[in-house]
Amino acid sequence: MPKKDTFLGAFLNGLIFENPTFTLMLGMCPTLGITTAAMNGVGMGLATTVVLVFSNLFISLLRNIIPDKVRIPSYIVIIASFVTMIDLLMSAFVPSLRAALGTYIQLIVVNCIIFARAESFAAKNPPVQAIGDGLGMGLGFTWAITLLSCIRELIGSGSIFGLRLMPEAYQPMAIMNQVPGGFITLGILLILVNVIKAAIARHSRARKEELA
Amino acid sequence: MSTFFVILIGQILVNNYVMCQFFGICPFLGVSKKVDTALGMGLAVTFVITIASFFTWLVQNFLLVPLHLEYLHTIAFILVIAVLVQVVENALKKLSYSLYQALGVYLPLITTNCVVLAVAINNITDGYNLLESTFSGCCSALGFTLALLLLAGIRERMELSNMPKWMQGFPGALIMAGLMAISFMGFGGLI
Amino acid sequence: MQRHLTITPSPHVRDRASTKNIMQEVCLALAPAGIASIILFGASALKLICFSVLTCVLTEYLYQLIAGHKSTVGDWSAVVTGLMLAYNLPATAPWWIPVVGGVIAILLVKQLFGGIGSNFMNPALTARAVLFISWGGLVASYPNTLYCGGVDTISSATPLALMAADPSQVSFVDLLLGNVPGILGETCKIALLLGGIYLIIRGIIDWRIPATFIGSVFVLFLLTSGFNFELALKEVFAGGLMLGAFFMATDYATCPLSRLGRVIMGIGCGVFTFMIRAYANYPEGTSFAILFMNVLTPLIDRYTMPKFFGEVKKNA
Repeated sequence: MPKKDTFLGAFLNGLIFENPTFTLMLGMCPTLGITTAAMNGVGMGLATTVVLVFSNLFISLLRNIIPDKVRIPSYIVIIASFVTMIDLLMSAFVPSLRAALGTYIQLIVVNCIIFARAESFAAKNPPVQAIGDGLGMGLGFTWAITLLSCIRELIGSGSIFGLRLMPEAYQPMAIMNQVPGGFITLGILLILVNVIKAAIARHSRARKEELA
Repeated sequence: MSTFFVILIGQILVNNYVMCQFFGICPFLGVSKKVDTALGMGLAVTFVITIASFFTWLVQNFLLVPLHLEYLHTIAFILVIAVLVQVVENALKKLSYSLYQALGVYLPLITTNCVVLAVAINNITDGYNLLESTFSGCCSALGFTLALLLLAGIRERMELSNMPKWMQGFPGALIMAGLMAISFMGFGGLI
Repeated sequence: MQRHLTITPSPHVRDRASTKNIMQEVCLALAPAGIASIILFGASALKLICFSVLTCVLTEYLYQLIAGHKSTVGDWSAVVTGLMLAYNLPATAPWWIPVVGGVIAILLVKQLFGGIGSNFMNPALTARAVLFISWGGLVASYPNTLYCGGVDTISSATPLALMAADPSQVSFVDLLLGNVPGILGETCKIALLLGGIYLIIRGIIDWRIPATFIGSVFVLFLLTSGFNFELALKEVFAGGLMLGAFFMATDYATCPLSRLGRVIMGIGCGVFTFMIRAYANYPEGTSFAILFMNVLTPLIDRYTMPKFFGEVKKNA
């Protein structure tokens, strides 16, 4: 586990070790709601990353000015401002992606990843590390939901990024594009993560015993 | 009357915010270990959403629309909700301490429950009037409570079964939620 | 149907032998409907039943082999699930439909939650719902019987759909014998009644669930059709209601334990079946109604379980 008090450490922590999706279980609504196509996963992930980096930066800069009592409304206003900017920018430049992601873009405001990072990291750390944490968490979220959406798109539509990969005879399993498919795919991915983690822990314990 | 019946069945069964639309998943997974806590959370959310739908409708139609500031509704609504949660918490503390003790712990979590904001935004998009908005908010929240109670009931029962170790906790809850969502799909087109 | 928790008046017997006995009785009770489906739909019915049962048994065996659990294949429960799944498919379904369904039923719905008796939804019905939502065109088609157009022709309308227009279009004798378009196990009502009544007499299923389930569907259609007895009676004998009420809703693991709970379950199934049949997108609501009541079962149990002797109400 890297130290979190450097830019790189904070970045890697969010990207892998405390991955918001697979370890912290934060931001579940967009994780499940928009991951029916790989492109949506990338778009949602990057939009969240941008908001996360800027909100972390500003909250970190203002951390000694914001009084403790009104911190939650203040954070929300900062986060909501960036979300509104992203929303308007996406409507102007990538309207089709914006339409595919629907209300979930506006709901980045209440994505608990952003709120949790503001409260538990940005409010306590200097700006450089806060940016590192925002980038790491954001990209960690991005790769996790892109992976999830690739699996769902492959089984549910037979393609990835719109590219047909399954043979002609394959009949797409439509339930993967619907609510049950989202829950079950993430559940199975988490089982795999748990099994891999347990295997790594067993391995490192065995090596420690070997050394001792 | 029929509009209200459509809203009732629609928000609780057909378009249930959790089971059919993926909103409010974090509290749904986080506060569903015990039926009692699920009921407390559900009641607190119902309380806040009903009031929030009322006030956000007023803010939209008497503040944002006249000032041509509709594009700021995300910021405005989330502020209303955050302030409301704070006010409800303080009011409960003064008025009914027993209710505050029962619901108090859940209140801070409600600000980041996306059902609240989603209901407020959807009420505007659906073009409901004030009464319909408030009613739809209340029904959506009851739908959320129903989903929460159902999952909590199943999770309590599963405590007694011999689930494999790697299924316990979140993976199991997610797969249970997925299977529950299948049963909700039968209501498609009911209204 | 996982009959692991055998709910009987005391003395309580809960050993492997009794699970196996109950499962064998259920297989026996399901046999008439299976034979009827082979007579009605021909070899394709036999093929689907074989694929379904084999997949279920094999999945259970392989999972328990890999996970290192003691094998429970010998208790016949996987056979029952396989039969149920096959009975819910149309004769025109390709071979891989029961295979995918069997894996989902056994692995996802049953074994992941701890195996027999631990599942909270009926495995066969859940798998059927997944198949239905995913491949509607293949699973939600209703072929004609051999004696009424031949299996290769897909009926444009099920008896339920025909009846919605005019109840006199469907003959009562055809409904009883099963000479109507439909899925494998649901059409022949005589075979289903035979099996269901056998299970009730043997004390394997509780009569309360099928009685309240079928009764409430009958009453609701009677009331909403302006006391049209013919329509209400035919609604009861059409579709998957009998199959669901006798064999699916009565699954021990997924129905309430108390008598009051079972009555609630039966009425709930009836009300939702009526709602979905009368108003929703799908022509038949039995399976989704049962699944929804399965999900509700833990809560029903929680609020209807009898208070135990000596139990003190906690700080009221």
